[in-house]
Amino acid sequence: MTRWNTISVALLMGVSLIALPACEEAKVDAAVFETLKQCYDDPSMNQDRCKIDYKEAKDQHAAVAPKYTSEADCQADFGSGKCEKAPYQTSSGGSVFMPLMMGYMMGSMLGGRRSMMSQPLYRSADNPKSFRTADNRNVGSATGRTQVARSATSRPSFKSSTIKRGGFGSSGRRFGSAAT
Amino acid sequence: MQRIPVTERPNLAQAAAGHELEFTPGQGVTGWDETAYYQFTMSQIEEDLEGPSEELEGLCFEVVARAVDDEEVLRRLGIPEHFWDYVADSWRNGEKNLYGRMDLSYDGDGPAKLLEYNADTPTALYESAVFQWEWLEQAMALGLIPRGCNQFNDVHESIVASFPLLGIDGLSHFACNQDIEDDKGTLDYLEECAREAGMDTRFLAMEEIGIDDRGRFTDSDDQVITTLIKLYPWEWIMDEEFGRNVPASGVRFIEPPWKAILSNKGLLPLLWEMFEGHPNLLPAFFDGDPASDMLAGSYVRKPLLSRQGANIEIVQGGKTLFHSDGPYGAEAHIVQGFHPLPEIGGNYPLVGCWLVASKAVGLCIREDRTLVTGKDCRFIPHAILD
Repeated sequence: MTRWNTISVALLMGVSLIALPACEEAKVDAAVFETLKQCYDDPSMNQDRCKIDYKEAKDQHAAVAPKYTSEADCQADFGSGKCEKAPYQTSSGGSVFMPLMMGYMMGSMLGGRRSMMSQPLYRSADNPKSFRTADNRNVGSATGRTQVARSATSRPSFKSSTIKRGGFGSSGRRFGSAAT
Repeated sequence: MQRIPVTERPNLAQAAAGHELEFTPGQGVTGWDETAYYQFTMSQIEEDLEGPSEELEGLCFEVVARAVDDEEVLRRLGIPEHFWDYVADSWRNGEKNLYGRMDLSYDGDGPAKLLEYNADTPTALYESAVFQWEWLEQAMALGLIPRGCNQFNDVHESIVASFPLLGIDGLSHFACNQDIEDDKGTLDYLEECAREAGMDTRFLAMEEIGIDDRGRFTDSDDQVITTLIKLYPWEWIMDEEFGRNVPASGVRFIEPPWKAILSNKGLLPLLWEMFEGHPNLLPAFFDGDPASDMLAGSYVRKPLLSRQGANIEIVQGGKTLFHSDGPYGAEAHIVQGFHPLPEIGGNYPLVGCWLVASKAVGLCIREDRTLVTGKDCRFIPHAILD
C-alpha cells in the first residue's frame, strides 16, 4: 500500500477548484440583529418573522453555546460578565457555564441554502466588535441586512460535556490498518 | 487485457512529492509501480467489469434485504445481536452508501469473478482517483504510451457529486486510526472531496471520540457528533467499549451500518445460495456446510473478517497451495471455489472496480507476487485503447 503524509488535492484532471482566494470565501445574504427590538425597528423586516426567528435562535442557545466547567475560563474567552450558568450539570454535579447570547442570525433571511435554522450569535473577548457563531465562525460586525461567509451559516453543533473518552480505537491498535 | 511494460516517468520523484507520496530513489513510489500498465478495450471495461459490477451490487442489495429479515443470517455473519435492529433499521430507512470496491478475478476473457466486496473500508482510493489519472495524462504527453488512451476513472468527480446527495446537514466528522498512514491518507482525500462539495468537515482520531451523559458522541472540543464518516470497520466499532452506545447515539454513519453485511465474507455464500450459477459468482459456502463437497478439494478458505490478504488458505486437490498468516480467523470461515488470478510473468493482477453511490466509476489494479493479494501489493495503472 502507498504511504502518505498529508494530501493536497491541487489537481489535475479538469476538476474545477473554486477560483476564489482562500481569504475571500463566498458570501450569502443574511440578516443579523443584536436584539429582537433592533429587528422590529428595521423597516425592511417583517415583525412576525423577527419574532419567530429570534425564538428559534434563543431556543438553541443553551444547546449549541460553548460549554465550560469554570466561569473564569468562560470569561477568559467571552469577557467579564458575559457568561451565565448553563441549564446542565457535569456528571459529578458541578456547574456548567456558557457565554450570553449577544445576537441572532435569521434563518429565513439566508440566501443560497434551503430551510436554514436561525442561530444565536456571540462576541468573544479578543474581538468584541464581531459576532461569532456557536461554532466560532466569524459573522462580521454589521447588523441588519448584510452578507456573511457561507460557512458561518451552517447549523451549529450541539456542545456537550464529555464524561469519557477512549472507548473506540482498541481494535485498530490490535490489528493495524483498516484497509481492504 | 494486456500487461504492457513501459518506461517510468522521468519526473516520478517530483510527481510523488507533489502528492506527498513516499518516494525512495531506486525503488520508486511505495506501493506504486508504473514500469508496466494494463491495457483494456472499451468493451472489456463496459461489458466485463462496469456492467457486471453494478449488477453484482444489485444482487448484494437483495442479500441485505434478506439478511435484515433473517436473524439466522445475521447470526451466521457474526453480527452481535445488540446491533440486529440497528443494522436492519439503517437499511429500511434507506441510509445512503458512499463507496466500495469489488475485487474481481479477471484475465480479459470470460466473466470476471467476484472474490470479495470491500464495501466498508476500501483504500487505494487516492491512487485510483488521482495519481493514476495524472500518470495517464503525463505518460501520453511524454509519448510513453499512445496518444488517445482513455481510463475508466470518474472516481473523483463521482465522490464530489455524491456527497451533497447524502443529505448531511451541519458539521461532518471524519475518523480513523490516525497512526496508520494509508488509512489517514485515504480519509484525508475523502475529506478534501467533501470540502470541495461544500461540506463542513473536521478530522478526529477514533480514540479521541468521547461520550456525554446522554449517550451522545463528542469530539475533542465537546461538540456533539452528528455525522461520522469513518474509515474504521463496523465489526471493530461493534466490538469496542463504546460500540454498545452506537445505536442510541443519534449519529449518522458513512458507510451505513448495513454495509456490515456486505463487507463480511459471509456475503459470498449468501450470494451463491440466492444466485447459484450467476456468471460473475464463484461457488461459496460457510465452512463445514456439506454442500461444499462440490468444490472437490480445490477452494480458498477465508475468515469472515480478515483484511489485506491475511489468514487466507488456498487448497488445490486436497493440498495446501498457499497460506498467509495474520491476526484474524478467530471467527467462522467461508470456502470459495478456487479461481486463480491470472499470472503474467510472476505477477498476479487483481482487478478492483470502484462503486460510488452504487455506480461503477473506476478501476484499481493491484499486483502481488503471490496468488493472494496482500499488504505489499503494488498499484499498476491502466489505460483503455481500442
